[in-house]
Amino acid sequence: MTDQHSYYVILFKSVSYALKAEKILKQEGLPHKLIPVPKHISSDCGVCLRIDVDAKDKIVALLSGKVDLEEIRKLAD
Amino acid sequence: MTEIKIVDAKNLSCPQPVILARQALETNKQVKVIVDNDTALENVKRLGGKFGCEVSVEAKSGGIYEIALIRRADINKEEDFSPSCTIGEAQSGPFVIVVNEDKMGRGNDELGTVLIKSFCHTIAEQAQKPDIIIFYNTGVKLTIQGSDVLDDLKQLESEGVQILVCGTCLNFFEIKEKLAVGVVSNMYDIVEAMSSAGRLFAP
Repeated sequence: MTDQHSYYVILFKSVSYALKAEKILKQEGLPHKLIPVPKHISSDCGVCLRIDVDAKDKIVALLSGKVDLEEIRKLAD
Repeated sequence: MTEIKIVDAKNLSCPQPVILARQALETNKQVKVIVDNDTALENVKRLGGKFGCEVSVEAKSGGIYEIALIRRADINKEEDFSPSCTIGEAQSGPFVIVVNEDKMGRGNDELGTVLIKSFCHTIAEQAQKPDIIIFYNTGVKLTIQGSDVLDDLKQLESEGVQILVCGTCLNFFEIKEKLAVGVVSNMYDIVEAMSSAGRLFAP
């Protein structure tokens, strides 16, 4: 709905992991957006990071070893 | 001759129940309409009144109503009946959201910051957008350059949502020149928007 982009979402075990990851991406200036976990993925009131498809590999590499990623999913429009 | 025509109008949205009720009344003397919401109840009652029926309502469990209509005369097919589909909904007036802080909820600021971001994102994704969003006190910090929710607010603005930002507040925080979305507003506009609102809430 936002635009024609396609996105991945990175899911975390807890909100604090999501915040930690957000902080890292911010420092590196990598585009991302903290959003509520889409309803079709989970009914929990959680947050996740939405990232551009092109940036996925870079971001995952950057975060690995620093933050536990639970799951990475393609976000259908 | 005392056969009662049953119209089950549960799970139907306005104006369907009242249309079915009218059709049934045209060919039956006695009609029982089953509805599951207040809007349908009021419309069917009004329909009965308009066409000179004896109307009696029985409330059942689970928000179900059975409306018995007994027709005393023929239905004039030319007669207009316009159901109102907004009975029981909010009063008319704009849908206003008031953002009075740059966080959502009290207790933990870090969490509050996460929540307000989620809130703005979700509002921007809703099918039914607010008409006006008012920002004041630290809420104005969400509308300036570098704000994490700027994209959401810009999207909302581009879709016609009016964004009012308290000028006194921008002034107080000395960030007026950084305003990146919405219009600088004043207490007159803010009070006017709030008091004319049909629905108003703060995150």
